[in-house]
Amino acid sequence: MLFRCSEAQEKLREEIREFAEKEVKPYAFQWDRDNAFPREVVKKMGERGWMGIPYPKEYGGAGLDVISYAIAVEELSRVDGGTGVILSAHTSLGSWPIFGFGTEEQKKKYLVPLAKGEKIGAFGLTEPNAGSDAGGTETTAVAEGDHYILNGEKIFITNGGEADIYVVFAVTTPGIGTKGISAFIVEKGWEGFTFGDHYDKLGIRSSATAQLLFNDVKVPKENLLGREGQGFKIAMATLDGGRIGIASQALGIAQGAYESCKTYALDRVQFHKPVAFQQAISFKIADMATEIRAARMLVYSAAEMKQNHEPYSMEAAMAKQFASDVAIRVTQEAVQVYGGNGYLKGMDVERMYRDAKITQIYEGTNEIMRVVIASHLLGKPPKSETPVMAGQAPKNITGPRKKIIYKKGSAQEKVDALVASLKADGYDFTTGIPIDTPITQAERVVSAGQGIGSKENMKLIEELAAAAGAAIGSSRPVAETLQYVPIDRFVGMSGQKFHGNLYIACGISGAVQHLKGIIDAGTIVAVNINPNAPIFKNCDYGIVGDVNEILPLLTAALDTGEKKPAPPMKKVRRPTPKKEKPDYKVMVCDGCGYEYDPMKGDPEADIAPGTPFDQLPEDWVCPKCAEPKKHFYEA
Amino acid sequence: MHIVREVTDHLYWIGANDHRLTLFENIHPIPEGVSYNAYVLLDKQTVLFDTVDWDACRQMMENLEYVLDGRALDVVVVNHWEPDHAASLQVVLDRYPKARIVSTEKGFMLMEQFGFRTEGHEIVKVGDGDTMSFGDHTVAFLTAPMVHWPEAMVTLDVTNGALFSADAFGSFKANDGKLFADEVNYDRDWIDENRRYLTNIVGKYGPHILKLIGKAAPHLSEIRYICPLHGLVWRKNIDYLLDKYRHWATYEPEENGVMIVYASMYGGTEQAAQALASKLAERGVTNLVVHDVSNTHVSYLIADVFRFSHVVLASVTYNLGIFPPMLNFLEDMKALNVQNRTFALIENGSWAVMSGDLMYRFLDEEMKQITVLNERLTIASHLKEGAKDELDLLADSIVDSVRSAQN
Repeated sequence: MLFRCSEAQEKLREEIREFAEKEVKPYAFQWDRDNAFPREVVKKMGERGWMGIPYPKEYGGAGLDVISYAIAVEELSRVDGGTGVILSAHTSLGSWPIFGFGTEEQKKKYLVPLAKGEKIGAFGLTEPNAGSDAGGTETTAVAEGDHYILNGEKIFITNGGEADIYVVFAVTTPGIGTKGISAFIVEKGWEGFTFGDHYDKLGIRSSATAQLLFNDVKVPKENLLGREGQGFKIAMATLDGGRIGIASQALGIAQGAYESCKTYALDRVQFHKPVAFQQAISFKIADMATEIRAARMLVYSAAEMKQNHEPYSMEAAMAKQFASDVAIRVTQEAVQVYGGNGYLKGMDVERMYRDAKITQIYEGTNEIMRVVIASHLLGKPPKSETPVMAGQAPKNITGPRKKIIYKKGSAQEKVDALVASLKADGYDFTTGIPIDTPITQAERVVSAGQGIGSKENMKLIEELAAAAGAAIGSSRPVAETLQYVPIDRFVGMSGQKFHGNLYIACGISGAVQHLKGIIDAGTIVAVNINPNAPIFKNCDYGIVGDVNEILPLLTAALDTGEKKPAPPMKKVRRPTPKKEKPDYKVMVCDGCGYEYDPMKGDPEADIAPGTPFDQLPEDWVCPKCAEPKKHFYEA
Repeated sequence: MHIVREVTDHLYWIGANDHRLTLFENIHPIPEGVSYNAYVLLDKQTVLFDTVDWDACRQMMENLEYVLDGRALDVVVVNHWEPDHAASLQVVLDRYPKARIVSTEKGFMLMEQFGFRTEGHEIVKVGDGDTMSFGDHTVAFLTAPMVHWPEAMVTLDVTNGALFSADAFGSFKANDGKLFADEVNYDRDWIDENRRYLTNIVGKYGPHILKLIGKAAPHLSEIRYICPLHGLVWRKNIDYLLDKYRHWATYEPEENGVMIVYASMYGGTEQAAQALASKLAERGVTNLVVHDVSNTHVSYLIADVFRFSHVVLASVTYNLGIFPPMLNFLEDMKALNVQNRTFALIENGSWAVMSGDLMYRFLDEEMKQITVLNERLTIASHLKEGAKDELDLLADSIVDSVRSAQN
């Protein structure tokens, strides 16, 4: 066996290298500096057929193999890691799940334009509480007629904002862990689908990374990818392939850094000879080349296995882990070879040094890579730890709340609806308390968060407080960092606790420590621009909107001129929502009355929490009395 | 001397009443006693349905011999192997060496475990839907797993409509001469003890009761007599009892009303419970009971929890925890599957009030579908006049909730 690429593969490498040298390399510094996404380059790659290298020609692809795809990512990354990951995320993450799990219609509609490079793809799995552990997924998709309603947020999404087609993962069956997750194809531009800020990253700055926000996004049923509940499987299968892409990116970055520092070392003369011939430097170069060769073997071998439909999950993880660690070592030493020059902006090794770090982190951290590899080698650990169930809504910090959110209609309509509800609850806005009443004694508080913006906007808060007959409060940063109000006005676990009736939170996102300070509030009202801010899950009434627009309207609606002094505070009652039955089946044993609760599983029989009864092995028996599975029925 | 009553032609009650036993299952007080019911059918063959507790053996044997009047016993049907019914079987077998024993497979497993000697007796295993004829009478067997033991079955005599229902439809309280439910004022004198029996003994197995009722549904019109192993025989108004069973088995309250249970060391919490009771009654909620958890056997509390829609728990904090008898009550409710109720909480403590949060957590996390009202009354040692508003708020909240449950 001769470990060498085919002629066709090498020819492709030459083409892409030429393209990268000409179209990417000269601009990479500028893109890095400006956080600029190279749209023109992506378009040109599409025209050359490189956006769908491993997909069949009938679906708009190039019909080439996985190694060719790996070579493409490697060659782009050799000059710019950011451009490399654009291709990797598009091909492996955005397109592959549709190729692997899509229906014929979905492939025609979405894979073809993706593979042709007419559209860019992306993949939305990661969330604030679901990183390495996808079981923590909180984005939900609720079936409603002929579509699903998607709500939630995704973070750190490569190609986010630039991509046209997104494969998004959401919980369709809450409470049963990863088995309740499903995958959806979502198009940019659909109502309610927006993007958060573009992240300001350490490296790969030419690639776009953004937050995806879903607010009642209607996804047609035909855009469900695979079956309901198959999402986690689709995600894991996709990431297996994605790791070959990231491994190739890491390999390319290492290759680029190695070549660059070798050239420099041969050029830079000290002690009357090129530093490359100082043993200290020559050994570095020797080590780099050795490690890069080893990494390349791992990457191409994993790609070859995927191409031949052999199980490759472990090998892809090995390749990703090893190649990214090599990228870190090589870029670090490359900067060292450059000496002081390597530490300057504009030097490619400086950028590569920063670009390399992410390859150890994304598409599964290298720690998770070792988990994957070890699980292939060792099997399941004897006792699994209890994971947090997906979709099991975290308990509201402020306790049960009405959570009536006014999203629809004009700002005035939202405000009118809110004021009508408050009045119906018994709030009398003809009376009020002084604006400087201590928080702990105040019956009402209007509170400002960072979302209020500049200090002038505190006038909006003061006016609203006067109109609502309330004292003024704030979140911790507004008092401590911005210093808009004295430190004794901040509400929270570590600040003042609010025990009164009405709390109006303006531009407060709802940090845990803040929410813990308003647990006792009779009614919590939230005004915030971000519909997914935690405050909305902890409020009775909420308006999604800009404080600059909403607060003046609310002030006008509540203003009754001079306030009468408020009578002694009478605590307002809050309605208690009825606790409903869980939406999963509990099965009960005829032999002893034991209940199988899928939330608990049967750890002693290696049944993980989240396993529905019908997915228990046929030979599973009651853990208490050994009655067979068929002697269970629904409780 | 025999004490026997005729249920219907050829069918006799040959059980016994027991007033000497203090604790049923050595846990539940039975101040009004209990009956152990056994029945004999005189057909071409003679058939005994279950026996009685060891203490009542002699009476039953005298009854049996009287009814058989010199005939041999041909068949013993054992619907339930719990010793309060099966204990006297050994004496019956020794006295009638030819008697066949009819039961379920699991029943015979328990027979082995309890150590019965059955040499020479034919063992006849029956399962769901099996029938057996004794001459004129034919019976059908229906298994009733986990009502309230796994081996239990019920036997229906399809000829005369007598259902031998094992512990289903049983009750505490001695029969004391009466045999039929229509011979007493059941709703006044019996239902409370019936409820206390069912909810404490079989309360956990609501789904199994429903399954049994579902299985029996096609035969309901054939049932003329319900002959349980404790309490009175039903031959009229069976729907009254079935309706109660449906509430208990589905954990739906029988009545909109409030049960206040307090745990008080020196009367502070008791006072709050009484103050609340007064406020509730003042507001028209008079279907209301108050229990001291320390002085009320938990079986009575369980019975009332199954009855009422609303429960107020008022507990002092004890060693930074819930007062132990109150915790015991909570544990018992959990064990008996209590669900679909609305609770309100009163907590007391003189330095670190913990009981409210702990009770809330137990109700919310350990039990099923328990709604806990937001309003909670917190007392530091003693309820002061200044707490009037808070007490009113709690009372209003409970009254609103009771009223909305009515609608």
